[in-house]
Amino acid sequence: MSKRRGRQLLHRTAIAGAGLAGVLMFASMLLGAGNLTPLESLHALLGQGSEDHRFIVFELRWPRTILAILVGVALGAAGTIMQAATRNPLAEPGLLGVSAGASFAVVLAIYYGADTAGVHFGIAILGALVGCFLVLLTTQMRGAGNDPVRLVLAGAAFSSILMSITTLILLHDQRTADEIRFWVIGALGGRPVSNLQWAVPGLLAGLAMVGATVAALAAMSLGEKVAMGLGHKPVFTRILAMTGVAVLVGTATAAAGPIAFAGLIVPYFARRLVGPDVRRALPIAMLIGPCVLLLADILSRLAVRPYELPIGIVTACIGAPVLIAVVRSHRLPRL
Amino acid sequence: MKTSTTPTRDAPQGFWLLRPGSLSLLVSRRGVWAGLLLALMTALVGVGNLSFGTPSLTPDQVLAALAGAGDPFNVFMLHELRLPRLTAGILSGAALGVGGCLLQTLARNRLATPGIIGIDDGATAFAVASIVAVPTSLAPPMLALVGAATAAALAFGLGGGGSRGYRFIVVGIAVGALFGALTNFMLARTDIDSANLAYPWTVGSLNARAPSTVVVLAACLVICLPIAKALGRQLQLLRFSDAVAIGLGTHVRHTRLAILVVTVFLTATAVAVAGPVGLVSLVAPEVARHLTGHRGVPIINSALAGALLMTAADWVGRTAFAPVEIPVGVITAIVGGPYLLWILLREPRMTGR
Repeated sequence: MSKRRGRQLLHRTAIAGAGLAGVLMFASMLLGAGNLTPLESLHALLGQGSEDHRFIVFELRWPRTILAILVGVALGAAGTIMQAATRNPLAEPGLLGVSAGASFAVVLAIYYGADTAGVHFGIAILGALVGCFLVLLTTQMRGAGNDPVRLVLAGAAFSSILMSITTLILLHDQRTADEIRFWVIGALGGRPVSNLQWAVPGLLAGLAMVGATVAALAAMSLGEKVAMGLGHKPVFTRILAMTGVAVLVGTATAAAGPIAFAGLIVPYFARRLVGPDVRRALPIAMLIGPCVLLLADILSRLAVRPYELPIGIVTACIGAPVLIAVVRSHRLPRL
Repeated sequence: MKTSTTPTRDAPQGFWLLRPGSLSLLVSRRGVWAGLLLALMTALVGVGNLSFGTPSLTPDQVLAALAGAGDPFNVFMLHELRLPRLTAGILSGAALGVGGCLLQTLARNRLATPGIIGIDDGATAFAVASIVAVPTSLAPPMLALVGAATAAALAFGLGGGGSRGYRFIVVGIAVGALFGALTNFMLARTDIDSANLAYPWTVGSLNARAPSTVVVLAACLVICLPIAKALGRQLQLLRFSDAVAIGLGTHVRHTRLAILVVTVFLTATAVAVAGPVGLVSLVAPEVARHLTGHRGVPIINSALAGALLMTAADWVGRTAFAPVEIPVGVITAIVGGPYLLWILLREPRMTGR
């Protein structure tokens, strides 16, 4: 497609994505599990209605809507960049065990007595960093590295080990069990508001790192030799990109727990809409990410009223068919 | 295989030739020794399982109590608590081991075990449904069977019949994730009592299983093990390419279907007893194959190795952090997970690619 048409497509998709995100954001404020009709929510949103209703809308729904948007941006960008950096259409922070690494690091920290939000964020980023570098090391291995599907299997094995150790800790120490249980289940509701003040700088730092590598990643999709010829440094780019991904995933995990499949769904749709070029896919993914998370969050609130589902269940229901579709496509696209 | 240098007309090297009546049977010597070794170790671990715990008994107390003599408390404890648990462990481990061995050989891939391609998750989801969501008169094992069959059909149908290497397995992972989400969905929906009732299904534990499910499992093993053993010959040919197997006279599609059905039955009934202890079906056939020298399809030895692994894991889980009991599924995941990683990353080429 010509450059002009590509740009038009990008603009049109971006506007549509932003519009959809706005609508979903509004819906997220109006719909919920509590016994509050959408009309009452609207009244509360306009500053009328009873004290209780205003509390529900502004103190409960507003923070989780913002959180959904932040986490969606982070996971969408992280998935897109990870797939570009590993040249693997199945690379997804949740599937490859990076989210599991982050949440496991937090579990360990809680077990050893850490209890402030800032510490949690730092430790989650550290855990995600370890997970990312394990992934990077594996992709450099002969045999396993150039097989996208085997990487997913390795990630599943890694996550299941971490999960079992977490279960051991849970069984061993009932005292911290409740707090830990909170971390290993992905959910947007009920997170402390103080999370937001740590999530925003983490998100911005991660996006800055990732953004700096986009041009080089686009060149690397033509092949390492071409990228080197154009003056990019593939190894440095890959390390910087994966560090950025780790910061994004760590932030998202610390804010909302591990949410699987979001990083797979979002880039998949973004690539379908604007093509495989990472320079176009990244901004679109950052718009689709919040849409997917908001939608999943709304569904998780409405599915089993008056209870709520963990959001990971909803993303798994959307993501597993996407995973099957990607794997089943006759030839796995090389990124 | 090396041709034998000594002029033995009746048996190749490393085999015994049995001639009961008009039949001739070749029995692998190494396979028999491996089987005896595994059976002996299972027996030892079984006795250990019976005697250690709170309170611990000496082996002669165990024997006396088994015979119904000695302290009535010991007799009660053995007959009502430890012996059923040991039986459940041995039977479910054997079923999982055979199921894993069959499926691995069928898909020509060591990673294609019921636990990994989502059959366990399917069985778990449906069994949980029978407890919490749809209060039916159907017993959990029956619904577990339906779930396992559904998951197997989905994984094989979407994954291209198991002949497309790793893609089939990742399709299976996705199917497993779907069923896992379904399980969590149902657990989130119900009241806390039903959820607690269903919890053991989700981690894999041998604690206080319903005796009726163990009976169903035992019946299934009695029927399926001979069938599996009889299919073993054709299965051995399926390890070659389809063209070779057809040329040697195997009806490939029928054999595949029969093996799949047997696997689904074994896995479902085992999951109905022990919950999803998937990694036993990965490791047990591996152990069996290693001991028998990668010759043939070690059905019986896989069963023995599975029983050994399950009982040993349960022993560790029961005693390592006593008085807290660790579910057997957690133990097998901690031991089996690194092994899975090692298989994946270590070998540059795998069979069946």
